[in-house]
Amino acid sequence: MSPSTLSPTSTLSPIAFPDVALPESARRLRAEVRAFVDEERARGTVLGRPDSWLAGWDPGFSRRLAERGWVGMALPTEYGGAGRGFLDRYVVIEELLAAGAPVSAHWVSDRQAGPSILQHGTEEQRRFFLPRIAAGQCFFSIGMSEKNSGSDLASVATRAERTADGWRLTGTKMWTGGAHVNDYAIVLARTEDAEDKHAGLSQFIVDLRASGVRVEPIHLMSGEHRFNAVHLEGVDVPDGMLLGQQGDGWKQVTGELTFERSGPERYLSTFPLLVSLLRELEQQPATAEQLAQVGILTARLHSIRRLSLGVAAALDAGHSPDTQAALVKDLGTRLEGALVDTVRSILPTPADPHATPGSHPELLAFALLHSPGYTLRGGTNEILRGIITRGLEQH
Amino acid sequence: MNTHTVDTGTPFIPADAYDTAAFYAEADAIAIVTNATAPDAVALPSEDASTAELLAAAREAGHRAVPAPLAETALVARPLLRCVGLPVPDGPLSYAIAPELTIRYAHPAASAVGSAGSSGDDDTLLVTGTLRRVPWARSATAVVVLATAPFGPVLFTLTPDQAVLTPGGNLAEEPRDDLYLATLEIPASRVRRISPELLDEARLRAALARSALIAGAAERCVDLTVAHTTARTQFGRPLSHFQAVKQEEARLIEETALVRTAVQAAAPLDFGGPAAHVAIAAAKTQASASAAEIARIAHQLHGAIGITQLSPLHLATTRLWSWRDEDGDETYWARRLARPLTAAALWPTLTTTP
Repeated sequence: MSPSTLSPTSTLSPIAFPDVALPESARRLRAEVRAFVDEERARGTVLGRPDSWLAGWDPGFSRRLAERGWVGMALPTEYGGAGRGFLDRYVVIEELLAAGAPVSAHWVSDRQAGPSILQHGTEEQRRFFLPRIAAGQCFFSIGMSEKNSGSDLASVATRAERTADGWRLTGTKMWTGGAHVNDYAIVLARTEDAEDKHAGLSQFIVDLRASGVRVEPIHLMSGEHRFNAVHLEGVDVPDGMLLGQQGDGWKQVTGELTFERSGPERYLSTFPLLVSLLRELEQQPATAEQLAQVGILTARLHSIRRLSLGVAAALDAGHSPDTQAALVKDLGTRLEGALVDTVRSILPTPADPHATPGSHPELLAFALLHSPGYTLRGGTNEILRGIITRGLEQH
Repeated sequence: MNTHTVDTGTPFIPADAYDTAAFYAEADAIAIVTNATAPDAVALPSEDASTAELLAAAREAGHRAVPAPLAETALVARPLLRCVGLPVPDGPLSYAIAPELTIRYAHPAASAVGSAGSSGDDDTLLVTGTLRRVPWARSATAVVVLATAPFGPVLFTLTPDQAVLTPGGNLAEEPRDDLYLATLEIPASRVRRISPELLDEARLRAALARSALIAGAAERCVDLTVAHTTARTQFGRPLSHFQAVKQEEARLIEETALVRTAVQAAAPLDFGGPAAHVAIAAAKTQASASAAEIARIAHQLHGAIGITQLSPLHLATTRLWSWRDEDGDETYWARRLARPLTAAALWPTLTTTP
């Protein structure tokens, strides 16, 4: 690399991220969201729990959020969205995650399905789905992974075969979050056999209530039911539910991954545990050592947040910062796990899943039982690091 | 270790390597740095440059291991002098934040209120004590000193020849000299009473300048490491093709991006106020805390050549190890960052900026 790659103008190098200045409107928006969260807290719906974008399923909360215009808010107004862009959306979702609000019902619709249908969908699909997503009335799952397809999505084996007026899907999707409570799934399936494994994949919008869909729970080691195996046993999908171009599934999916990888959910999942720690430390003066550890965690959170905002700014400007998104996810999800361990060492506490819900030992148990997942979901960190070095070579 | 003899086709020092010997052989490196027209020099930014431009220059100085107090002059000494309305001397400047000096009035008031010597006819001071490890003191045109006088915090300037200088250096052999002041008289014209806020601003400026230098040295580690792992082959393929190498290299890049972005976050802020305090405390905490990992990975991926002077890597890593401790290490700044935090204040603090 020459020194010029390090100049401030090369904003998309893997090291130099774009500058971020949130507009004044974002400051007002943040205050509005905080007031809303306070109301909901008083109502007993915002419990300050870790991993609330995975585990906090509350359709009522999602609908009340939607009434404020805060679901699908980056979607254009003509499709029922708020037309407010990625930075405003960022402010809303980071406030909700920091508070541990129950956002998992609409999470995937808002983060992926909405933008994906907007970008690749037909006009009919946009008019049907986007207003429902923005109203918090239509919830999506993502059907990418399979038993033998995790980070290697090119090995997807679910097949879509041509019928008279559409497609028939056969196969089993794994790790499908919320499929037992959601309305639709975007399923990646093979529409033709091609030499290049990345070719011949297509995306379909599948009604999870359709005949031939069988949802089988996969229980987490905590016992929670969040994920499923979704068996597609000859499910008929009409032509109109092909999402995007036939054979473009790979390209579409990798485009979505940038949205999936860089958001605040990739470093804030365990943030409520740090808040809980500080609440505990308010009962007794913190030692110098405890202060130092809290400060080092805080500095890292602050710095990773800036990187994550940098990706949001790049997306807002129409860039596709895949390498940067992978970098944020690797750093952020490692912090999520490290935070749990550090909190435990700052204030030694036996994790206890049976302690009072919301108490420090119970939150610690919850965060700990979820912790191996942070660095797996959305692409394992080892694979992400491969993307980062490849990005550097291409730069 | 036979690293040097394995594949003679690969240069030990990457093609784009910084020509250390030539740079240090330059008799008047400091003059080059302060002279924008000299070739291959990092120019000292003009006095009206923005903070972002000053930070970019400091990062470049850190990147190239510039042998001069560029960041100290541009980001700390000059702005402080301007703040208090003292003339800004030409050439390299340095600073010392030294509350431990003993300071008396040179011309005590005859009819003092309170104990004798607690007020004076004018602000001419008698200063005694040692300024420890002053960066580049031997080469500086002037040293800006911040200390506590009988009437509160003061800023004054002195020239190195007014002090007894004991040379010293950090791990990178950058000058860090002790200056002993033996009842040195500082005329009132060189003394300014300052607010406690300006004293704090001086600490923040020094910490941010140092963080920018660290960011530059970290980027140098990335450049040199990527050049090395791309050029050097083992077992018939470049190091960069090994999965284990990629994994470590990605972490090096990530940690460097983190430091750079933390520094950048402070650029648009004024030096006063809670937002600047948070951003700068976070930047220095992160820069100092990341230095160990960045140096570790860069050396590991360089192999044996990295621990010699044949490779310029040491220019960056010895600076990282030094700079992380200077102007407040990660523990100092982490505590300052954490002290005001409560459960309710944590998130609002993190979102103070932007």
